[in-house]
Amino acid sequence: MPDDIADVYRSTYPALVRFLYRKVWDAERAEDLAQEAFARALVHRPENTRGWLFVVAANMARDEARRAAREKRHLTLLKSEPDAVRSAPEDEIDADTQRTRVRAALDLLTPRDREALLLWDAGMSYDEIAAQTGLARGAIGTTLARARRRLVEAYDAGLEGGQHVARG
Amino acid sequence: MSHVDEGTLHAYLDGELPSDERTALEAHLGQCATCRQTLTEQRVLLERASALLGSTRPLERPAPPFEQLRRARQRSPWHVRMPFAWAASIAVALGIGYLFRTPEQLTPNAALAPPAGPVALRERAKASPVRQRQSARADKVVRSEGTASTDSYIGPQSRVRDVGAVAMNSSQLRNATPAAAEPAPSVIVSGAPALGAVRRMPVTTQWPVISRGTAASLLGADPVGLPGLSTRRIQRNPTGDGTVVVEQTLDSATVIQIFQRPATALASTDSSAAFTPRMLFDERDRAARERAPARLDRLARFVGRLRVEIAGPLSLDSLNRLLEQVEPLP
Repeated sequence: MPDDIADVYRSTYPALVRFLYRKVWDAERAEDLAQEAFARALVHRPENTRGWLFVVAANMARDEARRAAREKRHLTLLKSEPDAVRSAPEDEIDADTQRTRVRAALDLLTPRDREALLLWDAGMSYDEIAAQTGLARGAIGTTLARARRRLVEAYDAGLEGGQHVARG
Repeated sequence: MSHVDEGTLHAYLDGELPSDERTALEAHLGQCATCRQTLTEQRVLLERASALLGSTRPLERPAPPFEQLRRARQRSPWHVRMPFAWAASIAVALGIGYLFRTPEQLTPNAALAPPAGPVALRERAKASPVRQRQSARADKVVRSEGTASTDSYIGPQSRVRDVGAVAMNSSQLRNATPAAAEPAPSVIVSGAPALGAVRRMPVTTQWPVISRGTAASLLGADPVGLPGLSTRRIQRNPTGDGTVVVEQTLDSATVIQIFQRPATALASTDSSAAFTPRMLFDERDRAARERAPARLDRLARFVGRLRVEIAGPLSLDSLNRLLEQVEPLP
């Protein structure tokens, strides 16, 4: 029933964008991928639309990351271009730095811990996260506890280490 | 009751502990100062982690209307990306390049022909006098190219051109002073288009040309392409694997190939088709895929039921942006 998907769309779209954003780190791209996921849901008509969307989105983000890795060198070359005219406002720089640090910290989590954390942050329940990740429901709390601790520790270590971690 | 583990405390804080366990936990917390202390610490940790994640939220924009998504699967109107202006800037860059070409340089047809003699082509490109007129900025890029690791897929010659083309489209148009901007077109016409074309364009000269109607029936959907560009021809793969290629001209010397086939014919690489929850963490599967040779190193996306790939003598960045504009042809 397309109306069901429409409901899910209204309730889940922002969370899916957020989830994807933490994977591709590009807001527009995250929106594109989220819309793509919903469009695929319209074709596939999965039973559990919400869960299905997050799995498909995670897969798309992973494909995206691979492609991004291939293009990384290309972009590195572009970044070496002098860009003196452009100047960002202070708070934009801060937001940028902050994002880089959190991203670096997230990268240090295991894929499983990171996935559980991002799914929780996207508004999924423990039951949904369990179904999504194949983890036992009883293990979700432990997984999230570990993920949160590592995220905070990695972030703090990144701050102490200056650029060291943030760059990685 | 012994001390409570962190996982249980997080489930409690998350409001996800079943009611019987919650009751037991609260009773225990009433008696155990250690666990109360731990709970406080874990709450602080949880809030910090949430705050960190919260600090990286994307700017939240309203979702495009669902009907629109269902109807066309196109970008929402407030995604102001000006596809035509962007395509035009490439066309202009290439057009300038065309004007600067010297007579001994390759003809457009040669540029798109199958790789008859890449070495000879490269020598000619190197010998091109236009090449000598590169800007200092381009030289810098070339030098950094020299120190970078090799790329098995895109040769250095085409890379120089890639960088030039992108610079033309983004930073140069925005930032450069007139004096600095002037030499940039010579980067774009450095003779590399031919090489870029030969190396990156898959050879489809032997593919039978088909009508649009035939393409639609092969694909089970309207063929897709870039809106506003003229379609040069449509061909099908002679092996009958259902692949159709739409060739469109960006300008007189630049042809973009848009490969497409029904997504169902490609179940193994359609990430949604073989859906299982465990796919997320199947490291073995991931490793196997990464070992596979990057044979199809073209960019790809799904448009409706079609898996679409794009190829052409442009940078990956540019191709990617073009790919985003692909939609069913009218």
